[in-house]
Amino acid sequence: MCRATMADSGERRSLLKEDDGDDGEDVSVNMSPLCDPRHLLHRILVLIFMCFLGFGSYFCYDNPAALQTQVMQDMNLNTASFMQLYAWYSWPNVVLCFLGGFLLDRVFGIRLGTIIFSLFVLIGQIIFAAGALANHFWLMEAGRFVFGIGGESLAVAQNTYAVSWFKGKELNLVFGLQLSMARLGSTVNMNVIGWVYGRIQMMMGSAGHTTLGITLMIAASTCVFSLTCALVLGFLDRRAEKILHKEQGKTGEVIKLTDVKHFPFSLWLIFIICVGYYVAIFPFIGLGQVFFIEKFGFSPVQARAINSVVYIISAPASPVLGFMVDRTGRNIMWVLLAVVTTLLSHLMLAFTLWNPWIAMSILGLSYSLLACALWPMVAFVVAEHQLGTAYGFMQSIQNLGLAIISLAAGAILDTKGYLFLEVFFIVCMCCALIAVVLLYLYNSYTEGELNLSASTRARRAKALSESSE
Amino acid sequence: MSMFKRCFICCLLSVVFCPSSGFIGGGDSFRRKVSVEVNPGLKPPSTLPPGVNLVHVRALGQNDTLHFLFCNQGAPSLLLVHTNTTESTVHVNWPEFINRSSSGGLQVEPQSSVQYSRALIITRLWEYSDVNNTADPQHTSESSFYPPYELQDFIWSEFNQSDHRIRICGGDRTAASFTNGTFCLQISAFESEGRESAWPGLLHNSNSSQLRVSLEGVTARVNYSRFSLELQSVGDSGFLGRVDVHRSIDDEYTPSIFKVSQWVSFPVNSSRVWGYAQWKPVAYRKSSPVTEDATPCRHSEPVPIARPPPSALIQAYFSHGPQTYGLNVSFGIAGDAFYNATNYLSWTVLMGVGDPPVDSFSVFIICIMAVGLGTPLVLIIVGVVFLWVRKRTSQSSGYEAIN
Repeated sequence: MCRATMADSGERRSLLKEDDGDDGEDVSVNMSPLCDPRHLLHRILVLIFMCFLGFGSYFCYDNPAALQTQVMQDMNLNTASFMQLYAWYSWPNVVLCFLGGFLLDRVFGIRLGTIIFSLFVLIGQIIFAAGALANHFWLMEAGRFVFGIGGESLAVAQNTYAVSWFKGKELNLVFGLQLSMARLGSTVNMNVIGWVYGRIQMMMGSAGHTTLGITLMIAASTCVFSLTCALVLGFLDRRAEKILHKEQGKTGEVIKLTDVKHFPFSLWLIFIICVGYYVAIFPFIGLGQVFFIEKFGFSPVQARAINSVVYIISAPASPVLGFMVDRTGRNIMWVLLAVVTTLLSHLMLAFTLWNPWIAMSILGLSYSLLACALWPMVAFVVAEHQLGTAYGFMQSIQNLGLAIISLAAGAILDTKGYLFLEVFFIVCMCCALIAVVLLYLYNSYTEGELNLSASTRARRAKALSESSE
Repeated sequence: MSMFKRCFICCLLSVVFCPSSGFIGGGDSFRRKVSVEVNPGLKPPSTLPPGVNLVHVRALGQNDTLHFLFCNQGAPSLLLVHTNTTESTVHVNWPEFINRSSSGGLQVEPQSSVQYSRALIITRLWEYSDVNNTADPQHTSESSFYPPYELQDFIWSEFNQSDHRIRICGGDRTAASFTNGTFCLQISAFESEGRESAWPGLLHNSNSSQLRVSLEGVTARVNYSRFSLELQSVGDSGFLGRVDVHRSIDDEYTPSIFKVSQWVSFPVNSSRVWGYAQWKPVAYRKSSPVTEDATPCRHSEPVPIARPPPSALIQAYFSHGPQTYGLNVSFGIAGDAFYNATNYLSWTVLMGVGDPPVDSFSVFIICIMAVGLGTPLVLIIVGVVFLWVRKRTSQSSGYEAIN
């Protein structure tokens, strides 16, 4: 349907060329709303494809966590080797976080770049599955490495598409929806892939690396779906560019590594909070399933469900909490609250036998709260032209921290057990807590604007814009 | 800034010094003097078959004695006798003991000083084929069970005694499974509280002795078979037994195991525990295991057994109609690897008098938690005070006149 109208519009445009100006509006009169790039319905269609773009990548990222016992048994691994699967995902992103924006803006362009990164995600997952089929663990690690190259950069591409198609107030909602879809992918994975493995096992008659390989290949089908979305998005974006004469979206990131020298002290504290916090979340979820089975006596299905609670809660909570933080401001207090409640939930999981649903639900809420309150703080402490470098650096050391701590967590679990591992995570959270407290004190001391309420910020911005007029 | 630097250095120093404090103090001051003798009073012409010995471990306390007697004539048995005097001794009538003709071959004298006696006997090693991979011998049909290995018929080839530890190994030499493998038992006695570094790292004190059972290199009869150990406990009449399973939050010493099982014996009209056999529901599939080599084990409920176990030690010592209970400890759970994955299995049980030892957090963990939680707290308090003081001083300065 769209193709026919596109031919029409192309003809019209060539006729109207001499007239100049207002081509877009004349053209849009004859198109159905679904095919009109400026109409809401078409943009919702694009939004749907944009959201599902990341689905495959998030679905496959947590495959090891949901299949921990199976992976470890079928490939004959100890926990330290198992956590390599997560470390290898993070290693390429230590460097790629700086290069991602550059590659998308200068080298490939957003459309081709998205398709290439989706291809990396798909090929990575296929190599990962092939490694299981061939019973070669090094091949699985290589697959995760390739998957990692595509995964994080795809998220950058998704954001760039969002900025290009949705501006202003809609953007927050779109970011929130994209995040929710990502969490949905993770949740579906946690709860479904174990069942898929069980069915394949019944069909094959036994467990083993072949069963694992087939299950992972089936998971790769979600990556095919994401690749299709990337292709469709590329097509729709190119079409919109032709119709509306708008430029290809750019990340707008300017990375200058020399800027790192001029990062303010507050920013370094924010980096420490980011690393200290996330390394106590993702590796924990990676190893969580067996923890719930061993300590609380849950069945594997129940354990996977509890493990996915963080994602389930974060999907609806992120937009709501984001809205709340936007309205109230006072980011440092929210970050402090998030860190303290996460610390409490880790303490509960480590030192009590209370139902872990409580602790994991609290964890899910505080994880969403931190994401909404922490990342915007970077924009308050750093000049706009340094923002790209600052975010790139933050992502980079976050991935570096995740890679190293994943390996450390696996090694600790192998030799010292779960209590020690939880205490280790608690120490990481305490480091983040110390950084938050220092940030608050430093911010108060230097009268910075990180902890201002939203109304004060609005007043200041207004005063600034008035004085500049 | 210098305040922050000072706080940081304080924290670093406490982290460095805290672990070392674990060596200072702590530990139980209750000690026993342990002495080991093998075959006390055995003289020719009485001889024991090769590899068969009676080991007597005497643990002398302030005003009581614990006698641990181990013998593998018949089914291997570990007997514990608690007397309330430091002068008690063990007398063995060797001809009667070896002949197993009547009871009374072994006596602890003076008889009136004996407070409590209990024995743990390993009678059979069961193997069953677990085709459905359910690891549930209680609900597996009898036809899946192979004829058990009777430990009373084992030929014992190795006997090592070093320090307070005895190791014996043997096997069913008529069975093909034991051509390259052995069934080993390791008994340890302790002078004071401590913990073995080898997993499961059970906490022991001088009132207990540890028995470690291991299958080393024994081949399974089929590819998907699992093992189960039959244990019997013999005690004086008037004592009951039950198995308690306690959940804990600490798995420092036995990674990924949060439970401990205790087979306690208590008199009929009281609930106070007089003696115990304690184990963690885990067996290890390698001699130097990591967490993945742990396989959970299950136990069945203790049932009374009419006949006393086929052990010379029990027959010689328990003369007044002892009560025998038996249970099975089975290794593995559904979906777990089978025995032939590593051809190795080891399981440890602790036997003693009084209350079973209770695990607690190590000093290291406590120190880390104290530093980890204390530092931010101290920072918050110091920072808030600092800001408040600053605010006060800036307020009191007030406005200054311009001219």
